[in-house]
Amino acid sequence: MAELSQRDQLALHEFSVRYRAALAKQHQTPEQSLDTVRDAVREQYEQEQDAKRDMTIEPSEPTPEREPDEPDQDR
Amino acid sequence: MEDLIKLVKTYRLSAGLAERIRLAENIFRLIEPDLRVFVFSSVSHEAAKDALQEILKAVATSLKQFKGETVKEFWAWCYRIARNKLNDHYRSKAADRMQPTPPEDLWQMMELSAQDAPISPAVRHDLDYAIKLLTAAKPDCSDLLWRHYVIGLDYGEIAEERNVSYDNARMKIGRCLDEAKSLVS
Repeated sequence: MAELSQRDQLALHEFSVRYRAALAKQHQTPEQSLDTVRDAVREQYEQEQDAKRDMTIEPSEPTPEREPDEPDQDR
Repeated sequence: MEDLIKLVKTYRLSAGLAERIRLAENIFRLIEPDLRVFVFSSVSHEAAKDALQEILKAVATSLKQFKGETVKEFWAWCYRIARNKLNDHYRSKAADRMQPTPPEDLWQMMELSAQDAPISPAVRHDLDYAIKLLTAAKPDCSDLLWRHYVIGLDYGEIAEERNVSYDNARMKIGRCLDEAKSLVS
């Protein structure tokens, strides 16, 4: 199998670095990306808080099951 | 990159929202550029913008569930999420799948990079060789070489991506490199 010479490796590395730089220049959206991340973290945090609340708020005594409706006498 | 795993581990332990947001911002400043290259190399640039946001959201939402201990494990986990999201995308929009980029488009990217870092004649010669190497082989081979040498996925990550063994991935990349080099020289 072919091995990459040091020069080949340097050439591919140079290309990769420049490609990344060009891509970042072409699609400058870091602020949009950070907004997405902040929203996701906030959403996740709120879900965790909701789950914790649901676990701590437990009824003091078991809720009786709802009695079935009485049959309507007039019917 | 050692800092990255420290940030991730601290994030897992953090309870307050402000602290989590601060840590998440730092984590994503480190990983966004590489995930961007991964996504923009996988789907059309038009589709990649939305796909990248979806992937960032998925990684951020699951960050607390990451169980690994090393940077390597963290990257493998990030790429796994990215691949799953992109696979969903492929299923719904096959037309958005990335086609091999022609050399002239890659040169445009190089010229764009030259605005900040001018290209000397020697570097131009190297870039010309690299572009030929990356585009000379058949599409499947070009894709493999791109993923290994440009995105920077290692043999293990490519093996996981293609559902083959580590050795199979290593040998396939070697054969593709043989093919590309024979076509370039």
